[in-house]
Amino acid sequence: MPHLVSRQRGLREWRLYLLIVPSLLLVGTFVLLPAVNGIYHSFSDWDGTRAQQLVGLDNFRRAFQDTILWNSFETVSILVVFNLFKMIPSILLAVLIHRLRSDRWQYAYRALMVVPMIIPGLVTLFVWKSFFDPNLGLLNRVLDLTGLKWALVSLDQRVFHWGVFFPHVPVGWLTQPELILPSLFIWGFPWIGTVGVLIYLAGLQSISQEIYEAAELDGVGSFGKFLYIELPLILTQVRLNLLLLIIATLQGYGLQLLLLGESGGPAGKGMVPGLWMYNRAFIAGEFGYACSIGMILFGFILALTIVNNRYVRVAK
Amino acid sequence: MNDHRQLAGQDRDWAKHLIIWCFVVIELLPLYLMLQGSVKDNADFLRSPWLPIVPRSWHWENWAFAFRLVLPYITNTLFVAVFSSAASLAFSIMAAYFFARYQMPFSRMLWSAFLALMLLPSVANIVPLFVLLKHLSLLNSLWALIIVGAASGQIFNVYVLRNFIEDLPRDLFEAAEIDGATHLQQIVNIVIPMSAPIIGTLSILAFLSQWNDFLLPLIVLRDRSSFTLGVGLIYLDGEYVKQWGQIMAAYFIASLPLIVIFLFSMRLFVRGLSAGAVKG
Repeated sequence: MPHLVSRQRGLREWRLYLLIVPSLLLVGTFVLLPAVNGIYHSFSDWDGTRAQQLVGLDNFRRAFQDTILWNSFETVSILVVFNLFKMIPSILLAVLIHRLRSDRWQYAYRALMVVPMIIPGLVTLFVWKSFFDPNLGLLNRVLDLTGLKWALVSLDQRVFHWGVFFPHVPVGWLTQPELILPSLFIWGFPWIGTVGVLIYLAGLQSISQEIYEAAELDGVGSFGKFLYIELPLILTQVRLNLLLLIIATLQGYGLQLLLLGESGGPAGKGMVPGLWMYNRAFIAGEFGYACSIGMILFGFILALTIVNNRYVRVAK
Repeated sequence: MNDHRQLAGQDRDWAKHLIIWCFVVIELLPLYLMLQGSVKDNADFLRSPWLPIVPRSWHWENWAFAFRLVLPYITNTLFVAVFSSAASLAFSIMAAYFFARYQMPFSRMLWSAFLALMLLPSVANIVPLFVLLKHLSLLNSLWALIIVGAASGQIFNVYVLRNFIEDLPRDLFEAAEIDGATHLQQIVNIVIPMSAPIIGTLSILAFLSQWNDFLLPLIVLRDRSSFTLGVGLIYLDGEYVKQWGQIMAAYFIASLPLIVIFLFSMRLFVRGLSAGAVKG
């Protein structure tokens, strides 16, 4: 516990406050001020210069009728579902590594998990983008080599009639509107977050061998062990990751911006709310409207955070 | 301890090893492709995108080209990342010391304000932040990235460091006080050496987030000479005719500084991560 300082001594020790001044100034100017400014300007018609005009709720009324914004929320909810699904491989991998009987191998794999981290996330983004290239990209090569392309084409022509896959035409992953969402799903396969795996492993470490032995005596199967022993122990981390992931997906637009450009790709299929805000502000110069889109997103995320803090209390 | 189990279980684990290796191999695929692709020209790429080609026909000029292209970006990014992480850590250590050691009048209020700010989602900030930087005439300047970088990591760092400093043995501080050490001396001589692992981890995190950032640089930087890696690679990716070999070499060079840092700090980082996970 911090040392309690009385009001009088506090006055004498005023120099202590100097320690917090730089921090407060930085946070006040570059975090708090923009936030307040954003709230204010979401009610104004603003082109980013000093000239501005308060327009009341006009921006929000416009947002309510903005079909692009509605569609972008639909897209982002699909992406959230995708990303929830993409959490599974990391959990599985952590459990697999943890269940190895050899401590030495466990350690080796843990070290191996660090290796992908040395590639900056930025570079990974670009390398993955190159995978989607129709002519030279890896994805189409794999499809051709494994014959999956042929399977997709025949599925398309005989069963589903998507009109997306054709023989002898390279698949345009990022140019076909119908393929944008599937591309965003395939993105990052096999969806291992190595940091996540390490965190789960740390949580799993508290399980002693005796618990496994007891479970084996009771005839608990492999899946039962996962459900009753392993999952409860990493539930804290899983929940935390879940929340962080949902928030990051809701407000993220860097991936879409890099992959598809500032208008969300062909037919705007990859448009997410954050990207639409970016687009309105920096492409159309409608800073006021962009601020109100930001506020709407902000409201959603704040609500999620509050709900999480209040109701999803993690038992310690 | 479980030697006998190891022997008994080794042969039953091969399926697990196989699955794990599949994951690992696919996960490392980008690294491999980057390396072997960086010495090919487009014709080689079309012929065999997978396998490395014979060393005799390696195109080293890809690397020379990429190096010339990326080096200024790397210098700019290093400048931004080093200064912003250093400033961020220095200020947050001071603030964390303030909160952890003394409960001054208004401390509690300030702390609640900090916590409330931590809950604020940052997405809505970028538009007003851009305008603020414009009014401060910081557009097209690397200092904008440094200042914003130092500010944005502040709250999280203070939060983590406060908990850490509160756990340091109080006797040390009292002894130092009796010897007449000022607060800054206490920070430099006690707090920093004793919380080196957590400071190291936080610095690496701050450094990484600067290295990978492209959203703010993209709207702040205009001139090619001030580009950081994020913007530079976006422009490289946008070229009309792509020389994949050169691009791959550029990507790999862009990762090199991080590889060097990780070689030196991997242990610390993994330990910090695991410890933090158990504690939280």
